[in-house]
Amino acid sequence: MSRAKINETVAMKSGLVSLIKASGFNYRYPSGPPVLIDIDLEVSEGEIVALLGPNGAGKSTLLRALLNELKPDSGAITGSLISVRPSGVLIGYAGEESAHFNSLTGAQNAHFFARAAGVEKDEASGLVFGLMSLVGLSDEADKVVSSYSFGAKRKLLLLEALVHQPKLLLLDEPTVGLDPASRDALADILRKRSQEGSAVVMASHDLNFLEQLADRILVIDRGRIVSSGSQSELLDALGTATRFQVSVDTDYKELPRYFGEDVELVDDSGPLVFETSRGQAALPEIWSALISARVKILGVEVREPGLAELFRRVTGKELPG
Amino acid sequence: MKFLVVAIEFRRALARPRLLALNVMVPVMLVLAVSLGGAPKFHAAAVYTVLFILFGTFGSSIPLVRDAEAGLFGRIIRGGIPPSHLLMQRAVGGGVIDGLQLLPALTIATLGSVSLNEWIMAVLILWSSVWIANLLGNLVAALARSLAETALFSAVTALLLLHLSGVFRTPLPDSSWALVEALSPFQALHDMFLGVSSVGTRGEPLLGLFIWMLVLPALTVCLARPIASSLGTAADA
Repeated sequence: MSRAKINETVAMKSGLVSLIKASGFNYRYPSGPPVLIDIDLEVSEGEIVALLGPNGAGKSTLLRALLNELKPDSGAITGSLISVRPSGVLIGYAGEESAHFNSLTGAQNAHFFARAAGVEKDEASGLVFGLMSLVGLSDEADKVVSSYSFGAKRKLLLLEALVHQPKLLLLDEPTVGLDPASRDALADILRKRSQEGSAVVMASHDLNFLEQLADRILVIDRGRIVSSGSQSELLDALGTATRFQVSVDTDYKELPRYFGEDVELVDDSGPLVFETSRGQAALPEIWSALISARVKILGVEVREPGLAELFRRVTGKELPG
Repeated sequence: MKFLVVAIEFRRALARPRLLALNVMVPVMLVLAVSLGGAPKFHAAAVYTVLFILFGTFGSSIPLVRDAEAGLFGRIIRGGIPPSHLLMQRAVGGGVIDGLQLLPALTIATLGSVSLNEWIMAVLILWSSVWIANLLGNLVAALARSLAETALFSAVTALLLLHLSGVFRTPLPDSSWALVEALSPFQALHDMFLGVSSVGTRGEPLLGLFIWMLVLPALTVCLARPIASSLGTAADA
């Protein structure tokens, strides 16, 4: 699949209200290269949008743009949430940094952020302890944050973004530091919030988490949205073929294009890339054909269809982690 | 208006009892050393004024830059507290906490020299001066890109204003400096210590204090967004 610029103009879900919209958004850091290029994105109530991309692609910057914190070179962020000040009342944001009042307890921290976002005092305690129980922080609620593990600080950060029940959640790598149980609990919370009408935009390298939750996936590379759509749309476009990447000694004679039933050599410019709809069952056939052709095999990598393969084909890069 | 930031500043101060004790004990030790050491009264007043003002300025600017570098300052603003509220409430909370921590030192410095009414006036002048020092620390922090720069800028700014307030000079009542001193923020505190030290007061020392109590908060509110932006940039750097 060739790399192509695809403007993100996905229509709103039928009957749902648009919450935030980026139109032709271009941004660069002072005296730096462009970080976001021609970003068009609209997020509606109840949607879960995933940003997928390599490190430095612009995912975190896009989240900050949606917070309306960045002054664009051109374009704008608009929407019903942006006109409300302070934005923290309607938007929950959990970034990469886990900055807290380290000398205070987790409950005191969460209570502060709930109250800052406009939650009434009486209501705040109930919300804080309810969420602490859900994310597995109940036992640590009254411990000072400086004694927290990395994972506990990340949970607290997520809790603080969620506690005031915002209309839009912007989450940067939400599963980093979370154990599997907490990760599942977070998925449940996000799914429930989405059903209640909140929108979620999250940047993550956790493909399982994204596949589990995302209604829409945007693949971002070098500041551009290079592919977008629902999981099924993207995977349909990708096809169901399994790919084998075979590293070989370069000293071999020309190879045929087809290797038996439904196995095609699609690329021989570097490592040999075979494509088949028969899955891993075709591997022995490829293996024996290569040995017959006196090709010295150095290694084999299997690439099943999925988000990782989609990303690889769209950007030509591997996803980290 | 909710005073969440003031409340959290109090909680943070109380959550660190060792630091709280040090912040009380160090000024007490210094004031004791000066008052018991037979320093000339004019010099003693200068030392007290410098000590109390630097306490307020450093106590405001350095934690602010540290919070900004950690990303906490940005998180609080994103969380729903407007920059002007955050900076003003930090200064109010910091001023009250600094004032309380300096109260024992002030009491020792004024012991046996003032009536109860004069002591209450001294406390009010102390709190006002330290509040101004805290506001000054906020503004200075916006210019700094590191803790070292913050300490340097805080010291330079505070010492310049202390100089303009006449702290490091013999009073010159008939010169143009007298007007500058009257309009400077810390003359009131210095004169209070001079009065305590029985050297006598000069002119209308509260004028400068009142002017700065109006100007600095207004400046803080007007510049809150650029300050927040600058501190955010520092955090990103």
